[in-house]
Formats: sequence, C-alpha cells, structure tokens
Amino acid sequence: MVDAVSAISAVTLLALVTIATRVGGVWIMSCVTITPRVEAFLKYMSVSVLISIVAATTWAAGPRIWLGVGTAALVMIASRSAVGAMLAGTALAALARNFGF
Amino acid sequence: MTGMAVDIPSSGKVEHPRFTASGVWCGCVEIAPIAAFVIPFGIAFGVAASAKGISPGISVFMSVAIYAGASQFAALDLWYAPLPLVTLALTVLAVNARHILLGAALAPWLLQIPIIQRLGALLLLSDANFAHTMAARDRGETDAGILFGSGLTMWIIWIASTAVGALAGSLLGDLSRFGFDAVMVAYFTAVIVGWWKGRSDLFPYITAAAVAVAGTYILPPGWHIIAGAVAGGTVGVWRHG
Repeated sequence: MVDAVSAISAVTLLALVTIATRVGGVWIMSCVTITPRVEAFLKYMSVSVLISIVAATTWAAGPRIWLGVGTAALVMIASRSAVGAMLAGTALAALARNFGF
Repeated sequence: MTGMAVDIPSSGKVEHPRFTASGVWCGCVEIAPIAAFVIPFGIAFGVAASAKGISPGISVFMSVAIYAGASQFAALDLWYAPLPLVTLALTVLAVNARHILLGAALAPWLLQIPIIQRLGALLLLSDANFAHTMAARDRGETDAGILFGSGLTMWIIWIASTAVGALAGSLLGDLSRFGFDAVMVAYFTAVIVGWWKGRSDLFPYITAAAVAVAGTYILPPGWHIIAGAVAGGTVGVWRHG
C-alpha cells in the first residue's frame, strides 16, 4: 500500500510535470519554432507510451487479457467508438474471469 | 482526452484577440455534448484506481490536479510502494508531451492576450477543448475565453465522473475478482487503434512494443515504458524524415 503523504506528494509532482507540458508549447513558441521533426517525435512518443504499456502488460498476462485487448482492437476498428471498445474489452475479460481463465 | 488527435492547422496571428466572460460561458455550454463522452472514461479511471487500492480521495485529487486521462491511467501501472517517482514523472511527461504541440498551435492567439487569462486557459488545455477551440477559430472566433470555458466543463465532468467510479469501486471491494483489471489495456488499445494513420505507423508502433517487452527483462521496473516511448518516437522521426 502507498501511504497518503507519498501519494499526495507524487500526484503533486505529476501535476507539475503536466502543467509544464500545457504551458510549455506557448512558452517555446515565444522563443523558437517547432520543426516538423520535433513534432513527429512528440506525436510518436505520446502514442508509444501507451503501446509500451499494452505490449508489456499483454506479454506478461494470460489469455484473459489477450481476449480483452483483442476485443477492444476489433471493436475499435469496426465501430471507431473508444467507449464501446473499452467496455467490450473489459466486459469480455471480466466474463472470462468468471469462467475460470 | 479520448481521441488524442493532434492536427495543427496553419497558424497566423489572430485579429482582435479577446478573452471575455461571454466567451467563457459559450465555451462552457457548447462543449457539453462532447464532454458527456468523457463520463465513461472518468468512471473507468475511478474504478481502475480503486482496483489498484487507491482511496477515492486520492483518485479524485489525481483528476483535479493532473486532469489528463491517458497519463493518469499510465500512472496507475506504476502505482506501488515505494512509488517510483522518476519513472512516474518521465512516463507522465512522455504521455502528455503532445500538450506542447497543442499549446504551440494556440500560441499566435494566446500570446496576444494578458498573461493571467493565458495561463488560466492553458491550465485546462486538453485534446477535446483544443479541438473545439480550433474549430471555433476556423469559423472566425477571436475570443480565447472559449478555450477556458470549454476546459472548465471538461475538468468538472472529469472530476465528477472519477468520483463516481472511485466510490463505486470502493463499495464493490476488490474489483480484480470481477476482472476489471482489463479496463486500462482495453482503453489504451482503443486509443492506439484510433490514432493509427496508416502503414507508415507500423514500424514505429512495432519498435515501441518490441523495445518495451524486451525492456521488462533487462531494465529496472517501469523503465521499459520510457525505453519504448523514446524508441517509438525516434523511429517515427526517422521514418518521416
């Protein structure tokens, strides 16, 4: 368990980091221009964090999570609805749990 | 928060930039139908945080202070005692780095309004209210109050829906027994698929995944995420020249 003081300190730190990203763009633009290469790096880095988490979690997990991830991907491709994909993936993984996977 | 779409229109200086109360109010009201779509994600975050053993108070504080859905989910993945602060901060920085692009796109406009209003609007910057504000600007809108107002609505709904999810989670007890531990990966999978722009994305995506998986064997806990993020970003730049 994480104690309350550590949790509040950590969230404050993460909030400051996030504020820096929100204010940073305007601040940087008042000094320099963002090149297409920097733009491409930031875009790919953002989505790569999510890919890293999904890949590592799925790799280490069992068939139940594979089912959840696969379902979410298929529903997203078919419907373009992130809410639908999240609900379907979670529901199927939860269902599989109850059937003993 | 849900789409993570970053499209930067060509930006010139805005004529007669303003920041008025009526602009704030317009932003608040106009974004409400879009903000409603955030509710399931806020509830899912509260539930997922609860499944990690985080108390409702801390979950709500996260949504108040950080207010960036994907990075909050990513932080849950690293939430264990003792908290790995460096890895947490770098992961959140990497997920939220796209805010820099959103801010940069708004800069020609925001640099022309007073600094207090500018900072206020930027503190509530998210993908959704950025998209809404840019659409308004394309229609000739010059009131930056729209950015602040639409951000305010998004923020309040994000906090309220987190509270609902966190309280529901704490009432239901150990959620992993229901299988709700899949919420985060299912949500991230949807975002990744939604972000997919075509075959040129394949190589950066696969590189990120491969480096992250390899990193779980050879790097200290949590660092595989940073390694995968930097690898994916680097390959993305290389592929796009």
